Amino acid sequence: MSDSLTDIIEAFQSVDAETRLMLLLDYAKNLPALPDRLSAARDEGLGRIEECMTPVFLFCEGENGHVRLFADVAEEAPTVKGFVSILVNAYDGADKPTIATIPDDLLQQLGLDGAIRMNRVVGLNAVLSRIKREAAAV
Amino acid sequence: MADYAHPDVLVSTDWVNQNRGDTDNIRIVESNEDVLLYKQGHIPGAVEIDWINDLNHPVVRDYIEGQDFANLCSRHGIGNDTTVVFYGDKNNWWACYAFWIFLLNGHDVSKLKIMNGGSAKWKADGKPVTSDVPSYGEKPYTPGEKNPAIRAFIEDALEQSKAGKPLVDVRSPAEFSGERTHMPEYPQEGVLRGGHIPGAVNCPWARAVAEDGTFKSREELEAIYQGELGLKPGDDVVAYCRIGERSSHTWFVLTYLLGYDNVRNYDGSWTEYGNKVGVPIEKTYEPA
Repeated sequence: MSDSLTDIIEAFQSVDAETRLMLLLDYAKNLPALPDRLSAARDEGLGRIEECMTPVFLFCEGENGHVRLFADVAEEAPTVKGFVSILVNAYDGADKPTIATIPDDLLQQLGLDGAIRMNRVVGLNAVLSRIKREAAAV
Repeated sequence: MADYAHPDVLVSTDWVNQNRGDTDNIRIVESNEDVLLYKQGHIPGAVEIDWINDLNHPVVRDYIEGQDFANLCSRHGIGNDTTVVFYGDKNNWWACYAFWIFLLNGHDVSKLKIMNGGSAKWKADGKPVTSDVPSYGEKPYTPGEKNPAIRAFIEDALEQSKAGKPLVDVRSPAEFSGERTHMPEYPQEGVLRGGHIPGAVNCPWARAVAEDGTFKSREELEAIYQGELGLKPGDDVVAYCRIGERSSHTWFVLTYLLGYDNVRNYDGSWTEYGNKVGVPIEKTYEPA
């Protein structure tokens, strides 16, 4: 796990459920926009994570031994957007071995498994495994 | 909207914008699937009622009722004579569910409304949103007489099936045929067997919705439910889906927009029926 993810998990665990949702919303609002070249790729339908009900687009690129992460999530799905934003925040620019250590039970560790409806959990876990798989391949 | 059987049950986004200041008599309620949407931005003055945190019973697979329901209304400043206007994400899918549970609990039906088009239309109209959470004083609320006629249980669904009366399955075609036991995105709410209640016809709920999120016209709806499915306004109809939320949308369409007066929502739906010991299913999917 990266140091920044450890910090994020600590922040989520130190607050009550309501504040945790506000933190998640902050992450949702702060997901960086895609660079133009990737917006164009998204508009062609590339990078889509099919398991997610709402459109989620993810791009992993190698850069000097590190992995750059870019993502785009619809405004109408702030819980998904917040979760993706946490991953981008914690792992954009990390090296491959570090990304491979993202815990599979991240939702639970963030204390969000109760707040995120069961019907979203699978989509979010799909995002997580996609990041690991693609990062390993770049 | 005027052509619908009970047009008074719908209000437009313009109506809500003009009347949202009348907080003594009207409460705007947002109901969503995504738990952050309301916090992200909602109609100024709207409160949130959440299907899991507020409407589902915490222990029993059922809805809150009686004093618990009265307390929920009371703390949102909803009295027995308050007009409650529901809206939300996904073409008002969850808004219709909340509407149905309010009616089930006996709130005066003439004081229950759906904002046609939901959140999507409100935002597309460019109307104002805020993240401010309003607070209204508690209002006394006396638990109303329950309204069991709009709800079907598994026994009712079985009886409906045996009698050859209309059962409308509003899930996707792949769920109906038994190819899938769940929508691809919702496997956690899956069941052991795939298929449908014997004799049910399939009509995915969202077919009732136009591109802008509002309901289709009466003529278009009649072409689907009467023309294609062969239903008639006097029919005894039971609608179901996976957990009873999508079918509350179809229940709303048949009851209020087309004027069917004998429609029940089977909220146990496929997650109950498909797992039930000793009941027959029908499966039309055959692996290639």
